[in-house]
Order: sequence, then structure tokens, then C-alpha cells
Amino acid sequence: MKPVDLARKLRQEATFEPAVLDRGKAVLMAAIRQEVQPKRGPTIVPQIPYEDVRAALAFLERAFGFREIPTARLVTAGGVIDHAMLEFGAGVIGIGPQGHHGTISPKSGGIVSQYISVYVDDVDAHHQRAVAGGARIAMGLRDYAWGDRPYEAHRTYEALDPEGHRWRFHQLLREMPRSRRDP
Amino acid sequence: MVNTPSDAEVIGRSLDEPEAFGLVYDRHAATVLRFLGRRVGAEVAEGLLGELFRIAFERRKTFDPSRASALPWLYGIGSNLLLKHRRGEARRLRASARMAADEATDRRAGAKALDARLLFPRVADAIEALPDGEREALLLFAWEDLSYQSVAEALELPIGTVRSRLNRARVQLRELLEPGGENRMRSR
Repeated sequence: MKPVDLARKLRQEATFEPAVLDRGKAVLMAAIRQEVQPKRGPTIVPQIPYEDVRAALAFLERAFGFREIPTARLVTAGGVIDHAMLEFGAGVIGIGPQGHHGTISPKSGGIVSQYISVYVDDVDAHHQRAVAGGARIAMGLRDYAWGDRPYEAHRTYEALDPEGHRWRFHQLLREMPRSRRDP
Repeated sequence: MVNTPSDAEVIGRSLDEPEAFGLVYDRHAATVLRFLGRRVGAEVAEGLLGELFRIAFERRKTFDPSRASALPWLYGIGSNLLLKHRRGEARRLRASARMAADEATDRRAGAKALDARLLFPRVADAIEALPDGEREALLLFAWEDLSYQSVAEALELPIGTVRSRLNRARVQLRELLEPGGENRMRSR
């Protein structure tokens, strides 16, 4: 007998219950759902008011590296941007003229009532880009052993955009910063 | 008449509509499950089935759209997964050899029955003794009835390499199975 035919003699079928195929499909569909869900967008979207929405949009793209979602822009008949959305990683924000929905820009109101945390891959590079793009640095780069998220060391800085909204940029660190680890 | 989309078209569509990938499962899961079952038995195969298609889904961007059928690609992902189950595979192969020997012995008498009793365990040992790449090519060809071209697609090899691997596997099996071959195998 030929070698391949001999090998064939050792082929032995396994027997399965019919439900095995359904269980396998459930595993696949769970993986598919996991990929689809983030595309439906984040469940919380901050809406930020500006005096000059067009200038804000240009600044957020230039200095912070956010990207406008072009299909989301709403423009009035007069050519004024009524609302725009920007994405960064898995996050999305909306921006629009102050006065809508009872909001006011810090530039007009004189106070900042909140800040927004943004997680980046390389906070030093981001800092450099923000400075070059015209951001005012409210707090320089520094390391923390823990922060907004518990037990995660991070490196962070805070910047103000042209109308005074406060943005805090974080890079999560794999290791504790040396300064905090060695007291 | 409605045109049935090829696997390549379905996978292409699934890049934008991930749910479409479910159709790849519906088409090939039963074949892939039988393949896994032959190699590692029902219990392990059942666990690997969903895992294999999850990996395929995550790697669907790397599927070569010039191939109409996804089946060789799925076999290739399966072959990689099976590498982690070599011990179970070897166990099953030895058990299959005992069954084949019993079956052959029932139908024969005397010296021929004795030959069969000795032969099949040696076939199992000889398959086990092959390098991974040759064993995989041989089993895809002999057990799954894949063409050389499909084996090449599954293992991501040029067809010439598949041909030479299968030839080497044939030569080694023949050598190990001819009289005195057992000693040669032991002396390795």
C-alpha cells in the first residue's frame, strides 16, 4: 500500500452534538459585536461652547490633533457653523456657539466650570504640538503615581484653548515614576 | 437567478459590515469542525472552533481577495492552532492506529493479521516522526483531500515547497515502514 493511503487509514471521524456549531457561532458573533459597538460612538459626548466656533475648530485640529467628522458639520444659511463634531481616538466632542442650550464660553463668562481629560500615546510630543499650535500651558508636564484612574501611573499637563477651556492631557505609564516609587 | 457572492466578496463586505462575516461561518464551520475533530477529537475541537473563526474575523483584512474560497485560509489558521495540541493529536493518532489494526486483524488470519497488528502503530509513529511542516502538509493532503494548490494556500507556501514536503514525507514513511525501518527510526 502507498504511504499516503496508509496514512489515510488512520483518519478517524469525531462525532459531535448538533449544538456545537451553534456554540461556535456564538463565540464568533460575540467577537463581531465587540468590534461593531465602538463604532456606534461613545456614550458620553461633551458639548463645548465658543464665541468663535470656526477659530476653535481650527485650533483644536492644529494644536491638539483632533479631527473633525466632516459629515457632522451643521452650517446656517448665513455660513455660520452651528455645530461641529471632532474625534480623537475613541473619544468625540461637539462644539457650537455659546448661548445655545444655556452655555457660555469662559472667555465671556470669566470662569471655567470644568476640565476635560484626554488620553494620548505620547504626552511629550502632544505638549510640543500644543505649544507650537498656540495653546497656553496652565500646568507643565509632570508625573503622577495615580490619577483619575486608580493605580495607573501617568504623565500629564494642562493647556488652555484660546477661549480658556481647560484641557488635561494624560499618558498612562507602564511603570511608576521614579520620584514617587523611591520616597 | 441570484448570484451567490464568493467568500472573497463576503469577506470584503465584512470590512465595512462586520456582521457579514457570519456567512463565512455558515458556509465552512461544519467542514472546519470535522477537520479539527479528526486531528484532536471532539472535545478539544469544539473549543477550537469558535476560537478559529474569531481569529479569522480579526485577521480578515489579511485575506487575499484573489482567492475565491476562504476554506484553505481557514485550514491554515486551524493548523496553527493545532500546534498547541500536539500531545492530544499524538494520543488520538495512536488510538486510531489501534482501531485500524483491530479492524484489519478481524478480516484476516494468521501471518497477515500479525502484519496488520504491527503495521498501523508503525504508520502512526512514522507520521509523528515527521517534522511539523511535512506532517501538516501530509495530513491536509491525505485526510482533508486538499489539492496541492489548496495546501499551499493554507500553509502560505509556494506550491513547489508543498510538493517537495509531500515527497519527503512519502519517502520517510516508506523508509520507516519497510523491513528494518523501525530500527532506523529508533536510532534517530
